Amino acid sequence: MQVHTFDVVVVGGGGAGLRAAIAAAETGGNAVGLVSKVYPMRSHTVAAEGGAAAVTRGDDSLQSHFDDTVAGGDWLAEQGVVDYFVRHAHAELVQMERWGCPWSRQASGDVQVRRFGGMKTERTWFAADKTGFHMLHTLYQTSLKYPQIQRFDEYFVLDLLVEDNQACGVIALEISSGELHLLRAKSVIMATGGAGRLFRFNTNGGIVTGDGMAIAYRRGVALRDMEFVQYHPTGLPGSGILITEASRGEGGVLTNKDGYRYLQDYGLGPETPLGEPQNKYMELGPRDKLSQAFWHEQQAGRTGKHGDSDVVYLDLRHLGEAYLQERLPFICELAKAYVNVDPAKSPIPIRPAVHYTMGGIETNADCETSIRGLFAAGECASVGLHGANRLGSNSLTELLVFGHLAGKKAMQRALGDSPCKDGAESIRQLGSQWQERLESMMRGGEPGRPRWPELKAELLKVMEEGCGIYRDEAGLTQALQSIRGLRERYERVQLGDQSQIYNTDLLHCLELGCSLDVAEATCLAALQRRESRGAHQRLDDSCQQRNDQQYLKHSQVFYQGAAPARLEWQDVDTHLSAPGERHYGSKGSGLKGSGAEGSDGGQHA
Amino acid sequence: MSYKPQLTGSWWLKHRFFKAYMLREATVIPLAFLLCSLLAGAFSLQDPERFQHWQAFMSNPLVILVHTLALTTSLYHAATFFVLFPRVMPIRVGNYQLPARYLVLAQWGAVWLVVALFIWLFAFGGQS
Amino acid sequence: MRSIQVLRYLPEESPQPFLQSFQVPVTDSTSVLDALNYIKESLDPTLSFRWSCRMAICGSCGVMVNGIPKLGCKDFLRNYPNDLIIEPLAHLPVERDLVVNMDSFLRHLEAVKPYLIEGKNAADSSQPNRQTPAQMARYQQFANCINCGLCYAACPQFGLNPEFTGPAAIALAHRYNLDSRDSGKAQRMAPLNSKNGVWSCTFVGFCSEVCPKGVDPAAAVNQGKVESAKSMLIQLFSGRAIGGAGQ
Ligand SMILES: Cc1cc2nc3c(=O)[nH]c(=O)nc-3n(C[C@H](O)[C@H](O)[C@H](O)COP(=O)(O)OP(=O)(O)OC[C@H]3O[C@@H](n4cnc5c(N)ncnc54)[C@H](O)[C@@H]3O)c2cc1C
Ligand code: SF4
Ligand code: FES
Repeated sequence: MQVHTFDVVVVGGGGAGLRAAIAAAETGGNAVGLVSKVYPMRSHTVAAEGGAAAVTRGDDSLQSHFDDTVAGGDWLAEQGVVDYFVRHAHAELVQMERWGCPWSRQASGDVQVRRFGGMKTERTWFAADKTGFHMLHTLYQTSLKYPQIQRFDEYFVLDLLVEDNQACGVIALEISSGELHLLRAKSVIMATGGAGRLFRFNTNGGIVTGDGMAIAYRRGVALRDMEFVQYHPTGLPGSGILITEASRGEGGVLTNKDGYRYLQDYGLGPETPLGEPQNKYMELGPRDKLSQAFWHEQQAGRTGKHGDSDVVYLDLRHLGEAYLQERLPFICELAKAYVNVDPAKSPIPIRPAVHYTMGGIETNADCETSIRGLFAAGECASVGLHGANRLGSNSLTELLVFGHLAGKKAMQRALGDSPCKDGAESIRQLGSQWQERLESMMRGGEPGRPRWPELKAELLKVMEEGCGIYRDEAGLTQALQSIRGLRERYERVQLGDQSQIYNTDLLHCLELGCSLDVAEATCLAALQRRESRGAHQRLDDSCQQRNDQQYLKHSQVFYQGAAPARLEWQDVDTHLSAPGERHYGSKGSGLKGSGAEGSDGGQHA
Repeated sequence: MSYKPQLTGSWWLKHRFFKAYMLREATVIPLAFLLCSLLAGAFSLQDPERFQHWQAFMSNPLVILVHTLALTTSLYHAATFFVLFPRVMPIRVGNYQLPARYLVLAQWGAVWLVVALFIWLFAFGGQS
Repeated sequence: MRSIQVLRYLPEESPQPFLQSFQVPVTDSTSVLDALNYIKESLDPTLSFRWSCRMAICGSCGVMVNGIPKLGCKDFLRNYPNDLIIEPLAHLPVERDLVVNMDSFLRHLEAVKPYLIEGKNAADSSQPNRQTPAQMARYQQFANCINCGLCYAACPQFGLNPEFTGPAAIALAHRYNLDSRDSGKAQRMAPLNSKNGVWSCTFVGFCSEVCPKGVDPAAAVNQGKVESAKSMLIQLFSGRAIGGAGQ
């Protein structure tokens, strides 16, 4: 096993990982390792379309961004963290501009901001409808300026090296050769993205399988708030490919099969006139409400059909061809290619799809986990920004704000702390343990051992049926049981490919192992949270309302090896704004001056 | 352990796009012939006998055929070039990007202008 | 169901690539990538290929479909009523099945300094630069490259000379050269002026034909020739060695 030594190792080459690596390099030291299972520009940040939020206009305020985020997260966000976030957001987006990101502009040459669901004011920076793409490529290209950053592209991280509750490195599989490598470091940053691929209909790339979450979780770090899984209301049927929220921000409307704008029936009205979208009304309500409205329409039989999917329609026709080409070129391209619809001529069929995991690796406000020197940032982390529901365009900014913070803190820790023990023995152990594990998966020819595709098909089915937009006790209990069964069967999993070079069968199998562990945490937390809050909605009788008395708490799930995972509750930081009610549509206005989106009882410091 | 197929001499036969490209490049052959003929003509001007030879050569049907070919292939080459030109030299007027087809048309316009000029000079001796 | 053929290469078993046929189910919206995934999950777990976003933006899934470079996730079986042969991207070393070695591609990208180089008197860095939509329009198309490498598989000059900087890298250099916020052009021209730079291109133009993102790298390369000619002339008159600027 080859051993490499760094000050800081970053796992993940998406927006969070690249931002962290640059920040670490700028903080000092001379060696940053950046490991990613795909070339950095393939990371799923590339797919983000809509934009990144930061208070920009004169008529906007930090307080207002704070309030939108906290209320949007149904008061489950860590308020100190949100406060840090809104204060640093703008500077990070400016930094991206200085690195060359082609933000869309006004005629004057100033940066343009657009409307986004759940945000009271226009504060979303965007780069046409390819914001994530431009951010990721800008970061990747900028990272080339730093010779301290050494990349390990197409290395799959398997595990952490932890000694005396201190992170000392990671073990990774070189995909092109099948060899194991140990990357030693005094701090490690996890930036491995979300876990949307636990579900069948999702907007995520094939690589978004929750690896980093599982890796930290297996080493004892809590996964926090995993029950909160965001559905995006507008995915394409079949593939789940995302049609950005910006298409509604620009004035697109949602209709059911009768051409009726059904959102007005779900507390989001009154109907806003065509071509005059208004923040927080109708189509610009928050995602959870929109996805839930779809579910009700579907139950009432008012959805249409596309292939074998139930769908509603996103109508952009009134915007006209030229405007669509200028503002939403990618959407036009996607709709044409994947559902054969020209948005200028006909409405696009859409349905909700799993989009974002609010929960993740628990960290403190400095992005550090309960293991010293182990940091996490980006979608894999739960720093506490999103609470029970993320507002669109907060997470791209999160990658920058917390990627930066994690990189800086990790490097400071690495430079300040005494080095890890020489650790030769534990390195050897970790190496041979994984070698054995991989060999046992490869050993073929034994009858009755399952392969990953069948286990994965079952996982997707279980999650869709038991852990969807609406949940209940019976469904979740069943789902949890099935997943525990799947985890048991996974112990005996066997590969169909015994080779060393680019063994993608092995990679998919390892990813599935991660997904199964994360799925258990998700179902357990969803089962135990017997209330409805943000993206977590229960249908059981006593669970349909938010219940602050019992559940104004984060869930924390702890790994227990082969035994069932364990759950604990953790207090939420609400020191800046006491829980109020979330209101959108006409109910949300009329509270002018309070700064909150209808936080009836909200007190604002 | 990787392999890399080598490009063979016939790579350009694999796709019509490459064939069109090779044709564009091949237009140079008849054109070169025409230029040589003209050059020979220029040299033969000093000697009347040679000039007669040259005239005979020029009226050989085969030579005329090659020269007609040169004309058509040059027009083809010009056509491909004119389409490429706006991409190599995009022209902006203030904030407005001139659409490529205007540039293509403008180039053809220029060609016809030159042709007209020549016809006027030779056929009408510059009088009208 | 229909049959498709895939060019396989299993270096641990045999040094020879071979064609293999598979029967896959098709609907109107089955992409080449869907077909490959079906093969992997249901027929042959040893088939290797790259993919992730399945929405034509991550640039992972380039393959040759009937000899033409395509993104597997954006090319549909419905377009090929007859034969369908899937091979690894041309002009790059093949590591296994449809997986090619992208090292040289990335090396060329990195060589052109593809990042904003601010001038000495750049404004206060806590504020964004101004850039009008017209200034942005000059480079925007060249900023849309997803690094898929299809243009390299389309370029016979790169096939003949792997040291040629190539379409995507030159397009990226050009993107920054055209950016009103950038002052790094002199540094980027050195590799572009060199013999493996813009002058290796004979304007075949197929790169732009196959580009899935409308980047038009051929235009960038040939605009680069104009720039290169200018910069070489300037150097000639200022008496410096050609290709030696900005080093
Ligand atoms: C379609 C779509 C649109 C979106 N639009 C918006 C938007 O408009 N605004 C907004 O704010 N947010 C948006 N989001 C959310 C946002 O894009 C993501 O939350 C964010 O990009 C995640 O970035 P990341 O850096 O955390 O992870 P990713 O970009 O997913 O990167 C993860 C990295 O980790 C690496 N990795 C993972 N596992 C391993 C392993 N085992 N070994 C080695 N490396 C590993 C991967 O290779 C990759 O480099 C969108 C999300 C999607 C899916
Ligand atoms: S220029 Fe086009 S074809 Fe070439 S790598 Fe970029 S996106 Fe792909
Ligand atoms: S899978 Fe991402 S471009 Fe095809």
